[in-house]
Amino acid sequence: MVVLEIRNITKTFQTEKSKIPVLDNVTFSVDKDEFVCLVGPSGCGKSTLLRIISGLEKPDSGEILFHGQPHNSPNPKITMIFQLFGLLPWKTAEENVEVPLEVLGVKEISRKEIAISHLRMVGLEAFQNTYPHDLSGGMKQRVGIARALALQPEVLLMDEPFSSLDELTAKTLRNLVLEIWHDPSLPTNTFIMVSHNVEEAVYMADRVIVMSPRPGRVVGEVRVDLPRPRTQYLRDQKYFQRVDEVVSILEKNKVAIEAAS
Amino acid sequence: MELSAILLLFTSMAWAIFFGVVGAIKGIPTNITESAKSFGLTGSRYTRHVVLPAIVPALISGATLAWCDGWFFMIAAEYVVYQGSTYSVPGLGSYLAEAAYVYQDLNLSIVLLVLITAIVLFINFLTWHRLMERTSAGTYKPAIRIGLSGIGHLGEAAPRMLHLGDRIHTPKSLILASKWLKRYTRQEKIVAFAVCLVAIFFITFFLVGQMPSLEAFRQAFADPEFAQLPVYIGLTMGRLAVAYIISLGIALGMGVLAAEHKKFAAIFYPIYDIGQAVPILALFPVFFVAFSRVFGGAFGLELTAILVLVLDMIWYMFLNVVSAVKSIPSEMKEVGQLFGLKGLKRITHLVIPAILPAIVTGSLLSWGTGWNTIIFAEYMPYETQLTQGQPLTLPGLGSYLDRTGYLPPPKGNPIRLLFLLGVIAAIVLLMEGLVWKRLLRKFEKYQVEV
Repeated sequence: MVVLEIRNITKTFQTEKSKIPVLDNVTFSVDKDEFVCLVGPSGCGKSTLLRIISGLEKPDSGEILFHGQPHNSPNPKITMIFQLFGLLPWKTAEENVEVPLEVLGVKEISRKEIAISHLRMVGLEAFQNTYPHDLSGGMKQRVGIARALALQPEVLLMDEPFSSLDELTAKTLRNLVLEIWHDPSLPTNTFIMVSHNVEEAVYMADRVIVMSPRPGRVVGEVRVDLPRPRTQYLRDQKYFQRVDEVVSILEKNKVAIEAAS
Repeated sequence: MELSAILLLFTSMAWAIFFGVVGAIKGIPTNITESAKSFGLTGSRYTRHVVLPAIVPALISGATLAWCDGWFFMIAAEYVVYQGSTYSVPGLGSYLAEAAYVYQDLNLSIVLLVLITAIVLFINFLTWHRLMERTSAGTYKPAIRIGLSGIGHLGEAAPRMLHLGDRIHTPKSLILASKWLKRYTRQEKIVAFAVCLVAIFFITFFLVGQMPSLEAFRQAFADPEFAQLPVYIGLTMGRLAVAYIISLGIALGMGVLAAEHKKFAAIFYPIYDIGQAVPILALFPVFFVAFSRVFGGAFGLELTAILVLVLDMIWYMFLNVVSAVKSIPSEMKEVGQLFGLKGLKRITHLVIPAILPAIVTGSLLSWGTGWNTIIFAEYMPYETQLTQGQPLTLPGLGSYLDRTGYLPPPKGNPIRLLFLLGVIAAIVLLMEGLVWKRLLRKFEKYQVEV
C-alpha cells in the first residue's frame, strides 16, 4: 500500500544574483512498512526534498500525497530527525520530548508519562533531567528519536541522522533505528532516510533511490533484497554487489554531468 | 580649557581603538599563526603580512566607535561650568549648550541638534562606511568584526557597528562579551589593574597637588550631604533600572520584529542608524528645555534624565537582540516549525531562551553606557530662568559626583571626587561579578551548538 507519493517535485532557490535549480521533476513513491534511503552527491537537493516531504519547504511545482491526500504543511503523522539533533538547549531531555506534545494539547501528566516511556525506549531514562549540553552526540540523537516517536508518527524522516556521530555510536544507533522500524507494536513503520554513505544506505534500506548532482533528479534505484538482520551479511559478496550498483549509478551520472559541462 | 576638552575627548576615544586592536591581535586564528611560522614569516614580515591586515578592520571600527564616543562627549567637553563660572570653547557643542541653557531657544536647539546628527551621519557615510567596505572583504574574523551589509538606506553608516545584516551567523554580542569577560588572563588583568592604580595616583597628584594629609581626608568626608550617599546610590540605581527596563522592553520588541520580518527591519534599521548617530548628550539640553516648559524644572529634569538614559542604553540591546535572533540556527527554527511552535509559544519556548545570553551581554553594555551618561543626566548646572538662577539637580550619585567635581570648596573636593568615582567603579564591578557573569555562566549551556 502506497503511503507517500512524491510527484514531479521541482524547486529552485533564488539568491540575490541568480537562480539555483535544486530539484528537477522528482517522482517516486514509498510503501507502508518500507525503509527507503535517498543517496546522492552533496548539494543534490536530497535534504531539501526531505524538507518538502515534511512540509517545512514548499515546492515550486509538483505535490506530495499522503494516503492520497495533498500534504503541504507540517503534520505530526510525518515527523523528522535532524542531522544536528535540533534539541532546544534550554530544555532537559524530558522537556524536549514534551514540547511537541504540549503543542498538540496533551495534558501535563500524560505528556510526562509519554516522554519518560519514550526516553526509556531509547535507553535514556536515567538522563531525563539532563540538559543537551551535558549529553554526548549519540545521546542527543536518542533524545531526537524519542521526541519524534512520542508523536506516534506513521512516517519518520531522517536527515543524515548519523553523519555527525563517531562510527561506533552510529553503528549502535543504526541498529536501534532498525529495531524501532521492525517493532510491530509501534505505529512508526515507514522510514525515509537521507544519507551520503552508500554502505549505510544498503545496510538499512529496502530500496536505495539514487539522485543526480544538482539539480537533483532520480537517476536510478537499487532494491536491497538481503535478509534481515543484515549484520551477518556485511562481509557478503551480495552486500558489496548492491553497494557497487549504487556507486556505479552515482559515478555514471557524475561523469555524464562533467561531460555535459 | 581647549587642552582639557581635547584630553577628555582623547580619553573617551582611545579605549575603543585600544581594545579593538588588542582584540583583533588576540583573534588571529591559531591555524594562521602556525602556518605563518611554518613558512618562516617572522619579525617584520609577520607584522606586515599577518598582524597589520588583522588589525586594520579593528582599527577602523575602533576609530568609528571612538569618533562616535567623541560626539557623545562633545557638549561635556566644550561647555563646562566649574566652580560657578562657565568655561566654553567655540564649537557646535558649546553653541548648542548656549542655545538651550542661556537663550532657551527650543527651535534653535532642535535645528542645531538636527545639524549635528546630519554631520555625524554624513561623515560616517563618507568615511568610515567606505573604509569599512574596503577592508572587511577578505579578512578573517577579527575579535570585533566590522562588516557591512544592507541595513536600509543609511544602514551602513551606523556607528558602534556590528553585523546587522543577513550575513550574521555567529552571535557577535557573545564575542563582545567574551572580550569583556573571558579574553584576558589573570596576568593581563593584574597588569591592567596596576596601570589603573598608577593612573589614579597621577590623577590624585595633579588634582591635589601633593599627597593628601589626614586632615584633608577628614575635610573631604565632613560634607553633611555625604551621609546621604546610600540614598543617592539607591536613587541613581533606580533611575538606571527604570531606563534599563524600558530599553529592554522596547529593544526586545523592536529587535525580534526587525530580525524576523523584513518590513519591520526596513522601518527599524534606519531608526537605529539615526538614533545611534545622535550624540546623546546633545539631546539633553533640547529635551530639558522642552520638558521643563510642560512639567516644570525638577520633574522635567527627571523625565529628561530617564529619556536620555533610555536613548543611550537601548541601542546596544537592540543590536544584540537582532544579531542573536538572526543567529538562531535554521535547524532550530525548523524544529519549531515542524512541531507547530507558533506565536507566543514560539517566542517563549524558542526565541527568548535562544537570545538570553545576548540579552545579558546587551545588559552589561547598556548598564556600562548608562553609568557613563547618568553623571551628566542628573545635573543641570547652568543657572537659567528656568532653574530660578540655581543649578538644578536630581538627588543621586551622578549629581553628587558633579557637584563634588565642579563646585567650589567645601562642596567641591578632589578626594571625595575620587572616592565617589571609586564607588561607581565598585558598583559596576560588583554588578558584573554578581549579576552578569553569573547569568552568563548560567546561560552558557543555552548556547546552541552548530
